Amino acid sequence: MLIYIIILAGSFVFLTGSALLALRWALRTGQLRDSRRTALLVFDEDEPVGRMTDYFPGRPLPPTDPASPSISK
Amino acid sequence: MNSQSSPSLRQALTPSDNDSSPERKALLAEIDASCRRPVLFMFANGLLWLMAGTALALLTSYKMHSPNFLADWSWLTFGRVRPAHLNTMVYGFASQVAIGVAIWLMCRLGRVPFMQGGLVVGATIFWNIGVTVGIVGILAGDSTSIEWLEMPGYAAYILFIAYALIAIWAIIAFRFRRERHLYVSQWYLLAALFWFPWLYSAANMMLVIDPVRGTVQGAVNWWFAHNVLGLWFTPIGLAAIYYFIPKVIGRPIHSYFLSTLGFWSLALFYNWAGIHHLIGGPMPAWLITVSVVASMMMIIPVVTVAINHHMTMVGHFKKLKYSPTLRFIVFGAMSYTVVSLQGSSMAIRSLNEVTHFTHYTIAHAHLGVYAFFTMVMFGSMYYIVPRLALREWPSARLISIHFWTTALGILLYVVPLSVGGVLQGLAMNNPDIPFLKTVELTKPYLVTRTFAGILMTVGHTVFAVNFVWILARRRKAYQPPVPFIAAGLQQEAGAQLGKDI
Amino acid sequence: MKYGPLLFLGIFLTLASSWVGLTVIPQMQFGGLQTTKIEETGRDYPLNTWGAASKGRELYRANGCIYCHSQQVRPQGFGADIERGWGTRRSVSRDYLYDKPVFLGTMRTGPDLTNIGQRQPSVDWHLSHLYDPQITSKGSTMPPYRFLFEQRKIGAKPSPDALKLTGEFATPPGYEIVPTENAKDLVAYLLSLRADAALLEAPLGK
Repeated sequence: MLIYIIILAGSFVFLTGSALLALRWALRTGQLRDSRRTALLVFDEDEPVGRMTDYFPGRPLPPTDPASPSISK
Repeated sequence: MNSQSSPSLRQALTPSDNDSSPERKALLAEIDASCRRPVLFMFANGLLWLMAGTALALLTSYKMHSPNFLADWSWLTFGRVRPAHLNTMVYGFASQVAIGVAIWLMCRLGRVPFMQGGLVVGATIFWNIGVTVGIVGILAGDSTSIEWLEMPGYAAYILFIAYALIAIWAIIAFRFRRERHLYVSQWYLLAALFWFPWLYSAANMMLVIDPVRGTVQGAVNWWFAHNVLGLWFTPIGLAAIYYFIPKVIGRPIHSYFLSTLGFWSLALFYNWAGIHHLIGGPMPAWLITVSVVASMMMIIPVVTVAINHHMTMVGHFKKLKYSPTLRFIVFGAMSYTVVSLQGSSMAIRSLNEVTHFTHYTIAHAHLGVYAFFTMVMFGSMYYIVPRLALREWPSARLISIHFWTTALGILLYVVPLSVGGVLQGLAMNNPDIPFLKTVELTKPYLVTRTFAGILMTVGHTVFAVNFVWILARRRKAYQPPVPFIAAGLQQEAGAQLGKDI
Repeated sequence: MKYGPLLFLGIFLTLASSWVGLTVIPQMQFGGLQTTKIEETGRDYPLNTWGAASKGRELYRANGCIYCHSQQVRPQGFGADIERGWGTRRSVSRDYLYDKPVFLGTMRTGPDLTNIGQRQPSVDWHLSHLYDPQITSKGSTMPPYRFLFEQRKIGAKPSPDALKLTGEFATPPGYEIVPTENAKDLVAYLLSLRADAALLEAPLGK
C-alpha cells in the first residue's frame, strides 16, 4: 500500500511542480502575450487575411467577396 | 472579363511582383511540390482501404439483420468481418490519410519542404503491407479479439516500424522548421505523432506480445482503444480544423488563447478517460471513478474548442456554400462537439447502465470516427489534393454528391441506431422482457443502418472517382506555371490567360 | 510560442501520467492476484482451461464471439444481469486470472456468457444452436456456424455424433450432419464457462 501512496504522491508533486514551472516560464517570457500574432501564422502575403482560399471548381463565386481578384481586366 | 477565380493556387504557384520576402514566397509551392509524392501516395492507398473497409462495413451491417448471408465460409463469418472492417478503416484508411494530412500541415506551418519523400513512399508501402497482412490474418482466424488491436502480433511489428520510418520525417520537418513560432495545429500534430507510437507499442507489449494478467488487460485495452481516438485521431482532426477554418475563410482564429487552453486540457483529461468502457465491470472502483471524472472534465476542452470555432465562423457561414473544404470541416467540427459531449454523458453511471452493451455505443463510435474525423479528413483532402496535383477537382457535382450522401448517410446511421440502442438497453435492464425480444426490437434500426451504409458507399465511390480523375487527367494541358481556375471558366478563361501571362 | 522542447515535455508528461495511472498501477495493484481455495469444495479457483476447452477458447477468439457476447456480470442493482440469470454474483478480477486475452466484451447483441456452462449444460443444445441458431432460438440474429460441421453421406452405420434435425432443418435423406472436432472443442469451452463459486470479495447474489 505504501508504495502506491509514494508513487501517487510523488507523481502528484512532480506533475503539479512541472506545470507550475511551465506556467512561470510562460508568464516570464511573455508566451501568453501577443497571441494575435500567433493566430496570424496561417496567413502570409500570398494568402492574406480576408482572402478565401477554397472554392467549388467551376461554380460561381461569392458575389461580394473582395478577396477574389479577376484574372484579367 | 469580370469572372473571378480562386487566387490561392495561382498565387502560390506564380511568383508575385511585390516580393518582400522571396524565401517564404517560394516556399508554398516548394512545400507542396515536396509533399506531392508521399502525401498523394498515402491518400491513394487510404482511399483504396476506404473502399475495402466500406465493402466490409456493408457486409457486416447486412449480416447483423440477415445472419445467414455468406455465413458458411469461416473467413466471412460476422466475428471476423467486423474487426476486419474496423482495422481496415482505422489503420488502412484513417491513420494513413491522417499521416498524410499531418505531414502536409507540418511542412506548411513550419514553412519547410518535406525531406526524403521517396523514403517515406517506401515506408508507406511497408505500412500497407502491414495492414494487408493484418487484415488477412484477422479473416484467416488470427484475430487477437482485443478491440481496436485485433491485428495479429506479426502485423503489429510491421506497422510499428513503418510508422516510425514515416513519422520521424514529420518530426524532422518540425525540428527544422523555418517559421520558429508555433501555431496551435503544430502542438496537436507533434503530440499525436508522439502519442500514437507510445500507445500502440505499449498496448501491443502488454496485451499481445507478453500479456499482463487477468483484468489488467481490460484496463490496458481501454486505455489504448479510447486514446487511439482521443490522442491520435482527435488531435490530428483538431489540427486540421484549426488550420483550415481560418485558412479557407481568411480570418484568424477567434481566440488563440482559448486554443492553447483547449490543447492542454485535452492532453490532461482525455488520456485518463478510457476505463469508462468498463463501468460495472470487474475492475477496482477507483479506476473507473478516475475515468468517469476525466470524462466529465473533457467538457472543458470540448466547449473551449466549440466556442472558438464557432466564434471564428460567425459571419462567415455563407461561405459554406462556396467551399467544399469548409463544408466538410465545419460538419466535422460540429460533430466533434456533439460526439464529445455525448461521450461525457455516456460516462455518467445511470446513463451508462442503459447504453453500455448496446448499439448506442456503436452509433457513438461512428459519430466520432466518421462524422467528426473522417469528414475533417475529407475536407482536408479537398484542399490539399489540387495543390499537390496542380490541377482543379474535375467535378464540382461529384463533390456535392459526396458531401450530401455522407452527411445524410451518417445522420441516418447515428440517429436511428442511437434510438434503437436506448430501447435495447431499457429492454435489457428489464428482466421480465425475454432476451430475444431485445434482439427483435433492434432489427428495424439495423436495417436502416444498412441503407445509411449504402448512401455512404455512394459518397465514397464518387469521391474515389473524383480522386482518380484528378490524378489521371493528362498533365500536358497543365504546363507550369499553372494558373489555377476555380470559377466556371476553364474553357474561355484558358485562352484569356494565355494572353495575360 | 516557439519553444518546442517545453511543448514536448508537456506532451510526454501527460501521456506518461495516464500510462502509469491506468496501466502500470493496476498491474502493481492486481496484476499479481493469485488463485484462492473455495472452502466448500476445497478446490482452487479459478482453474485454467485445458484440453478441448482451451482449443475451443482459441476458436472463440478467432471467430470474434466477443463482438456480440460479453463475459462480465454487472453487480446487483446495476443493470439486470443477475435477474436475467446470467450469473449468480458479480464478476470480479479473480475470475479472469488465466484469460489471455480477457473476453470482457462491450456488446450484448447476444446474452452474456460468463456462466453459460451452468445455465445451459446440454452439449446437444449447443451443437444444434451453433449449427443453426434458429433451431433453438427462433428470431436470433446469431449467424450459423455450419463451417464447424460436416455434411456427409451416412455410411454403414449412422454416426453417433450426428445432429438430430427435424422439420425445416432436416438434412436430405441419406445424409447426416456431424460436428467437427472444432465444434466439439468450442462447446467444451462454453461448458467450461462457470463463475458460480462464492468468493470472499463476491458473495452470491450481489
